[in-house]
Amino acid sequence: MSTTNASTSTSTSTNTATAPRSSKPASASASSPYSWRQAMPVPRLLQQLFDLVPLATYSANTLPARSPSTTPDQLPTLYVFASDEDARFGAPSFNPSCLKWQTYLKLAGVRFHITPSTNHASPSGALPFLLPARSSPTDSPAPIPSNKLQHYAFAQGPAPPPELTSLRLEAYQALLDLPVRNAWLQSLYLEPAHAALLDELYVAPASSSGWIRASLRAQLRRAAEAEILRTSSSATAAVVDVDAVYAAALEAFEALAGLLAESETGWFFGAAQPTLFDASVFAYTHLMLRYLGPGEENGSAQAAEAPFVPARLGVVVGCAGAGELERHRERMLKRVWGEPLVDADGVRRSIE
Amino acid sequence: MASSASSHGSINAADHSPPPPPTASAPVQAVENNLLTPVALSSVSLHGAKNTRRSLLDHVFKPLVRESASADTTFGDVLARLSIANQKLARYDIFKEDSIRVFISEALEQPQPGLHLDCTNLDVSISVKEKSRLVLSAGTDFGNAEGSAYTNAVIRNILGGAETLSVNASTGTRTRSAYNAVFSTPVNGNPDLRLGLEGLRSSTQKPWASHEEQLTGGNLRLAYLADNGDSHALAYSGVWRQLTNLAATSSPTVRADAGDSLKSSIAHTFTRDRRDRAGNPMLSQNGWLLRTVSELAGWGPLRGDVAFCKSEVEVSGAVPVLNSIRGGLPSGISVGGGLRMGVLYPLPTGYSLTGPAQPSRINDRFQLGGPTDVRGFKQCGLGPHDGTDAVGGDVYAAGSVNMLLPLPRAGPESPLRIQLFTNGGRLVALKNKGKAGEGGPTAALDSRAVVNGISSAVCELADGLPSLAAGVGLVYAHPVARFELNFSLPLVQRRGEEARKGLQVGVGINFL
Repeated sequence: MSTTNASTSTSTSTNTATAPRSSKPASASASSPYSWRQAMPVPRLLQQLFDLVPLATYSANTLPARSPSTTPDQLPTLYVFASDEDARFGAPSFNPSCLKWQTYLKLAGVRFHITPSTNHASPSGALPFLLPARSSPTDSPAPIPSNKLQHYAFAQGPAPPPELTSLRLEAYQALLDLPVRNAWLQSLYLEPAHAALLDELYVAPASSSGWIRASLRAQLRRAAEAEILRTSSSATAAVVDVDAVYAAALEAFEALAGLLAESETGWFFGAAQPTLFDASVFAYTHLMLRYLGPGEENGSAQAAEAPFVPARLGVVVGCAGAGELERHRERMLKRVWGEPLVDADGVRRSIE
Repeated sequence: MASSASSHGSINAADHSPPPPPTASAPVQAVENNLLTPVALSSVSLHGAKNTRRSLLDHVFKPLVRESASADTTFGDVLARLSIANQKLARYDIFKEDSIRVFISEALEQPQPGLHLDCTNLDVSISVKEKSRLVLSAGTDFGNAEGSAYTNAVIRNILGGAETLSVNASTGTRTRSAYNAVFSTPVNGNPDLRLGLEGLRSSTQKPWASHEEQLTGGNLRLAYLADNGDSHALAYSGVWRQLTNLAATSSPTVRADAGDSLKSSIAHTFTRDRRDRAGNPMLSQNGWLLRTVSELAGWGPLRGDVAFCKSEVEVSGAVPVLNSIRGGLPSGISVGGGLRMGVLYPLPTGYSLTGPAQPSRINDRFQLGGPTDVRGFKQCGLGPHDGTDAVGGDVYAAGSVNMLLPLPRAGPESPLRIQLFTNGGRLVALKNKGKAGEGGPTAALDSRAVVNGISSAVCELADGLPSLAAGVGLVYAHPVARFELNFSLPLVQRRGEEARKGLQVGVGINFL
């Protein structure tokens, strides 16, 4: 039964636009700049009085200790899902969407800091977004949401990757946006085997309270399930067809591996250097290999003898085609995070 | 149900005969003549309390009966104790205020013969009317700088022990939605000691820091009203706070604090209100008020995501002047002042006192400024600002001096006054003097850095003049809220602080 639903979501027939992440609408700016002075001219005498005061103006109050101060090197900040330590080293984010843009900006040669954050901080309701450097200690630059980051990279990056024009791009992009993403959601958010990992990545950093964690966990699971149901082939189903989700992902990875095998350069669509699409694929393959590989939680001895489990998406990625995707991930890691990670204190660390 | 009991009294030869006041009417005279007559209570009965438990009424009448059991009980003692018991009944807030009536009569049947031949046995009968158990209401409310519309349901005396359940839903100019339910009950039948359990959920816009705060939580509160009018409240509260819906222009400081946190805290509030509120509760021109709030969050067994100790003191007072011009009657002129101070001290979580502490978050820090505290500044216009966002401070002090004058035509009895004022304040944040900017928003401070930071913040309060504004305005003291229309000018301010030149409207209950 695992193959019955899978055919609808494979290869070129899919033409669905990028599935938006569930997000809250950004609230309208709360403070209105309207002033009664614009409506009513102030009498000259009063205006002269107003101009006299304040009689003394001292320098500005300093900001509280938790305020992110101006970065000494005047770099923009990318707000992503990351642990504090990963953020200090600029290590890869554990969220596919964040990792995609983090990778892309690095490919484009943009220099930036990353900071751990939550969806609540984002103007669009979802991470990542980029906050340009401040020009003064109290200046608030407008944030750049993820859908404008490519444009930003073209404007600011010294080496923006080439833009692909292949007609097949949309179809392959849809593979990432639907079957691959759904499998990621299913495996990380809904598989009981990965509950501890989900807690570690998304739930525990939010609060130390068990009550809040339980509530957030339930919210995350509900949202993931709704998202899979919304975008899966059988839109009317009330229950996720787990087998179909994994089967679709399996086919998608085979197709991607096949596409990569056609390329002579080692990058998708035969591009001379990695593009946004390479970053998009890497964002999933790296995270699946790192977090959802064989026996991440259960101990290696047990996992080595375990049968093929479709929820172990790292294994699926590794087996796709003749291992092209795993080698592609290695190349990307080397190219983007080639040098060992170093934090501000000069402490070194490896990616894994 | 009726409550009855009997008591004993023996003779105590009393040689008394107080001279009756010449103007007293006949019944009053009869009572006064008998104030020192030895009496014994034969029975006490209460009529009309259909839904009230006997055990609650016992708390009121048992002391009456017990104290009246001694041999030297006089009629005057019984009257005084009855009066106390009636006030207690009224404070339960389950009986209609003017419905409590007391009837005292000589007992018809003599109790056990041989014991009470020489004193008067009394039957006391009290009749009450219970308030309706379910009250639904809707209306508008004025809080400090906020107007709202509400619907409210109160169920009184649910279990017959003066328990109250109040369910509230409201929406306002800033509080987009708020729901809460409070169950409260007198402890041990004492109407002045109440225990309340509250659940709440609300969502409030904070335009001065371009975000919205959603609260979900509850608290357990013990409130005590002392005989001298002092009030104490001790409360444990656990609240899930979510900072969300940031504006596009939100500052990095607000973005860093966006998300979830649990505050688990115990707080004590003490109020000693010696203001003369006889005339107009919103226009006190005589007396003083002291209020302290102390809160401990997150430390030790409290846990939660934030840990701090927060303390606030408020003193205010007014003295009437020139009462002599009206021959001792209130002139309506007064000089008043107020002072508020607060400190937030970050603590380490767990039981340590010296471990690393997280600096405060925006929803725990103090805010200052606005038409109801430091006039002449915008709402939360004082203190550190990141861009246009008021991000709050950890230490503050604010004071005001004002003079109230009656309007020439309206006179001192009217609720209108002219107000001359000057007020000012300082709101200072705890700074991280260590390596700034490294480690992001979660960088903790060690205990030495906290001590140094707080002491330098306190010193900074007195660094230069406080941010000051002065002005003149009109006060209208409506019984529900106080309205002020002021014309003010800022005299001293810090760069980034938002002053307001010209007119400013203030609506509230508690003004500086």
